[in-house]
Amino acid sequence: MSPIPIDAAALLTGLRCILPEILVVATAIFVLFVDLMIPEENKRILCGISLIGVVISLFSVFLLGPARISGFSGAVVHDGLGAFFEIVILAACALTLLMATGYSEWEGTHKGEFYSLLLLSTSGMMFMAKGTDLMTVFLGLETLSIPIYVLVGFHRHRMSSIEGALKYFLLGAFASGFFLYGVALMYAATGTTKIPALAAMLLDARLAANPVFLAGVGLLLVGLAFKVSLVPFHMWTPDAYEGAPTVVTAFMSAAVKAAAFAALIRVLLLTFGGLQPVMWKVLWALSVLTMTVGNLSALLQDNVKRMLAYSSIAHAGYVLVGLVSGDFLGGQAALFYLLVYAFMNIGAFGVVILIAQKEDEGYDIRNLAGIGFKYPALGAFLTLFLVSLGGIPPTAGFVGKFYLFSAAVKNGYIWLAVLGVLNSAASIYYYLRLVVYMYMVPAEGEMPVPRPSRLAFSAALFASGAAVLLLGIFPGSALDLAARSVLSLLM
Amino acid sequence: MTGPADLIFYFVAALTVASAILVATLPNIIYSAVALLFSFAGVAGLYVFVSADFLAATQVLVYVGGILILILFAVFLSNRISTVKISNPVHFNWQAALLCLALFGVLSYTAVSTKFPVKPGLSYQPTTAEIGELLMTRYLLPFEVASVLLLAALIGAALLSRPEGEKERSADMEEPK
Repeated sequence: MSPIPIDAAALLTGLRCILPEILVVATAIFVLFVDLMIPEENKRILCGISLIGVVISLFSVFLLGPARISGFSGAVVHDGLGAFFEIVILAACALTLLMATGYSEWEGTHKGEFYSLLLLSTSGMMFMAKGTDLMTVFLGLETLSIPIYVLVGFHRHRMSSIEGALKYFLLGAFASGFFLYGVALMYAATGTTKIPALAAMLLDARLAANPVFLAGVGLLLVGLAFKVSLVPFHMWTPDAYEGAPTVVTAFMSAAVKAAAFAALIRVLLLTFGGLQPVMWKVLWALSVLTMTVGNLSALLQDNVKRMLAYSSIAHAGYVLVGLVSGDFLGGQAALFYLLVYAFMNIGAFGVVILIAQKEDEGYDIRNLAGIGFKYPALGAFLTLFLVSLGGIPPTAGFVGKFYLFSAAVKNGYIWLAVLGVLNSAASIYYYLRLVVYMYMVPAEGEMPVPRPSRLAFSAALFASGAAVLLLGIFPGSALDLAARSVLSLLM
Repeated sequence: MTGPADLIFYFVAALTVASAILVATLPNIIYSAVALLFSFAGVAGLYVFVSADFLAATQVLVYVGGILILILFAVFLSNRISTVKISNPVHFNWQAALLCLALFGVLSYTAVSTKFPVKPGLSYQPTTAEIGELLMTRYLLPFEVASVLLLAALIGAALLSRPEGEKERSADMEEPK
């Protein structure tokens, strides 16, 4: 083999393409070093540094713009879809960071490694969203997962935290195996791991009927379905979400889901031409199962954190409704919903952190009794986020669901839309149950005093609340952005 | 391939599969680990058959030499080895068996029904230089992302295995009575 010439210009283009990721990884390493130098009581600085890094990275995403830059011989691409998900992931990371310091100090578990792990996980998500080679996607998936396993088990003094981490780790490692096996089989069938090349080869109908290729796609789907916790791959979700420190739960539910969906959307929309006739049935069934099981289980929960965990499963089902048709409209609706979902879910977890006194016992629904009138700001925020999760206008959750279900109807999946709307109606029961507890159930005995909110924490809640309202009343520009992102992928 | 080479191939393949089954079913975890040794070595042998010399060497170095020894050390060094019975209990779970059987059926169907493209005249060339060059050029990004992944794993492992707080550290220092 003759030596491959090294092209300096191409390398520079590649580096420009992954500039946002480089910034996040650099911040993570910098935080790691600063952590060694500063005394225990000044760890709050680390949060500030991480936040600055994330904001600069977000800025660089906007700087790069929607132009398509492909780098590293097609391993990664900066396009509209990648940029959109980078915005979602970085926003979720920033909100988590704003809440993390206060939370860690209340729980007495303030450690510098928290921030570097969170940032490394974020960089993995961004690679996953931008990867056009299944190898990059896999490495992104692992880079996002391993810090999350550790963060779930961050509270080593709590049994539930360790239990959640262990379950998540064991099942997650298994799911990664499925993903990798799928990639290997797809490589065996086609000789490539690049997603655009796979999509081009799928125009040949013989490949779409090739059993090895289909088995590969199926295993790949299992790996990704695990990460977004679709039923029946959701078993770990309630335990991991309940055991994890609540800020990590908020981050997982918003950002991990967004990253895994980014990879799923890239694969599904690009392979739409060849695979859709087979895939839509699988996705249809997964979507209906996920929505129904998620919502029915959430109905039975008395623990707020666990309830939100099941509700996040159901929401993954809603997003999947947009992907069943695998076309432009559904893609746009799914993207918009993931953006909205990040804000409303992180916001809801944020308020719940303030109300709960401590982990484990603090999350019982009875703790909410009487909070609404005594602490009107907290009550109003939680109501706003829950109303949005339930999909009631004028919040962003309504607009998101409206677009998802109307995309399904326009593509002829009437039953799917009907089942989705029914599910959504059922979910309103358990979201409003919390509101009823806050405003209409008198507190038994002494009412718990919520934690006094920090400035950063309040800022995170205000930002999420404003986003939920603004995206609900003026969804136009965000919908346009989502539309352009999907178009940039399909071009 | 001629007769003897085929025979050796089937022997190595059978060794790999048989020891893998033993890993899952043997009651003692040490026995399982030793069976795993043969399974790993068998996989290395299979790599040799498809002329992947670098991969075979890595398999021996990393899996047989590294991971397996690590497993054994982890078993030997784990706390209270004398009180905890280290075993690998075999529970029969019909749901799991059904699921595995279904997966096995699907995968064996695909393996049998597919016509794999066979490369005629396999030449046994060294591949190490080629792999090195590809890692530094075409697969540069995955190679670098893997280092970020390892960094994350390192921080995580250090964090989880470090004793928590001053109080526990002093408790850990005390000699077990």
